[in-house]
Amino acid sequence: MFDLNFAKEAFPQIVLAVPLTLLIAFIATLIGLVLAIGVVIAREKQVPVLAQFLATLVSFIRGTPILVQLYVVYYGLPQLLTSLQAAGWHVDPNGLPAIVIAFSAYGLNAMANLSESIRSAYHAVDPGQYEAAISVGMKPATAMVQIVVPQLIANLIPNFTNIFLDLIKDTALVYNIGLVEVMGKANIISSEGFKYLETYTDALIIYIVVCWVFAFVLRQFERHYRYAQVSH
Amino acid sequence: MLLSVKKLEKRFGKRTVLKGVDFSVDQGEVVVIIGPSGSGKTTLLRNLNFLENADAGTMNFKDRQIDLAHPKKDDVHFVRRHSAMVFQNYNLFKNKTAQENIAEGLIYGQGMDKRQALTIASDELKSLGLAAQANHYPSQLSGGQQQRIGIARATVLKPDVILFDEPTSALDPELVGTVLDDMRRLAQAGQTMVVVTHQMSFAKNVASRIVFFDDGQIVESGSPDQVFNHPREERTRQFLGALAENY
Ligand SMILES: Nc1ncnc2c1ncn2[C@@H]1O[C@H](COP(=O)(O)OP(=O)(O)OP(=O)(O)O)[C@@H](O)[C@H]1O
Ligand SMILES: [Mg+2]
Repeated sequence: MFDLNFAKEAFPQIVLAVPLTLLIAFIATLIGLVLAIGVVIAREKQVPVLAQFLATLVSFIRGTPILVQLYVVYYGLPQLLTSLQAAGWHVDPNGLPAIVIAFSAYGLNAMANLSESIRSAYHAVDPGQYEAAISVGMKPATAMVQIVVPQLIANLIPNFTNIFLDLIKDTALVYNIGLVEVMGKANIISSEGFKYLETYTDALIIYIVVCWVFAFVLRQFERHYRYAQVSH
Repeated sequence: MLLSVKKLEKRFGKRTVLKGVDFSVDQGEVVVIIGPSGSGKTTLLRNLNFLENADAGTMNFKDRQIDLAHPKKDDVHFVRRHSAMVFQNYNLFKNKTAQENIAEGLIYGQGMDKRQALTIASDELKSLGLAAQANHYPSQLSGGQQQRIGIARATVLKPDVILFDEPTSALDPELVGTVLDDMRRLAQAGQTMVVVTHQMSFAKNVASRIVFFDDGQIVESGSPDQVFNHPREERTRQFLGALAENY
């Protein structure tokens, strides 16, 4: 039978793991966003070699499961640091915290997905507006800031929301590298009490609520942006 | 001479679209460019405003001489600041209101104070009878209204020359008149204009000079009376003959 009391008692403990889930999702999004902007600029400007390399990297990341990426970074990053150290860099490959691994893996994943979304949001702004902006005397950078980027952001928000929510859900995998976020906490409590359905139901509810809250917030943001430019 | 280009060449890949064009505009002239589809009229205008990179040629604009194949950034900005363009598809800024669309070039192109620019834009809208649309976004305006605002966006800059690329050809027929009226008024006020159009009545009545363009070259150029009634070149005659049959 479903032990409601067990579920109730486990709930607050699992909730305590929410900040870690959010921390990973936030930092990964932030890292991903900064990298993605760089990727988009390099690809749109068709920087030789770099553009092709980044295109391959992006399709690689988008074509593989995030769990595999997590393991590759988990085992690969320390080795990379070891070779950097051997080459004379001041880095310490030992004792790399799991959270740094998580930030790196999820950040790269976010970079790949965000860069594709930013590119399509950019292409959705018709180039005629940029041309009109420079033809009224704006410098190219001003034209981007005043005309192109605000529309790009409005186009981006729906996809951005999806990517961010996916990231929150995907952080459930970090218990594989020893981090105790919502899913990890649920695992631990289940195996201690031999009650599985109760704790995973708790986790389910927590994920639903968290995702719902962020979906709501981002929708408000989207509405604000859309209202400023599309017929209503 | 306000603006002139010499031996302007433009290629897209292997295809030469402008084959050494010599073209010039005097202060106060209204030059109308006519010619068949695909002959390179749009490409010519875009080169005058550096929206395309030319492969060869020189430009004289005001006191500057510019190598079109290797223009200096500063020269490009100078030309754009003293000229303006009106596009076939209006190209209004979709994230800005009608009023902001008109003010934007004053603020971010010419560095005018924002309040002053918005006042100028608002006055301009009033004189066009579009005051009620000041806070509308482009998606809330008809094509005719959008293009009239596109023209206002150009005129408030007080440019030395305005380049029009088929400003009425995306419009429903009943909206064409309002846009042509605005353009006629501008011409009467002495605005220097270069207009690519298929509106032959506008060409006949408003132009100070007609340029017939075909296959990447200027075939002939002269007064409306001369080009329309006594064309010198066979190709011009054929083009005008085909037009007469179609309309
Ligand atoms: N960006 C481009 N890339 C490749 N070819 C182009 C490009 N822009 C124009 N062309 C080609 O150059 C030629 C001239 O085009 P352009 O648009 O200047 O003609 P046009 O005289 O304005 O025609 P229309 O009356 O149909 O507007 C056409 O054959 C067109 O296909
Ligand atoms: Mg054209």
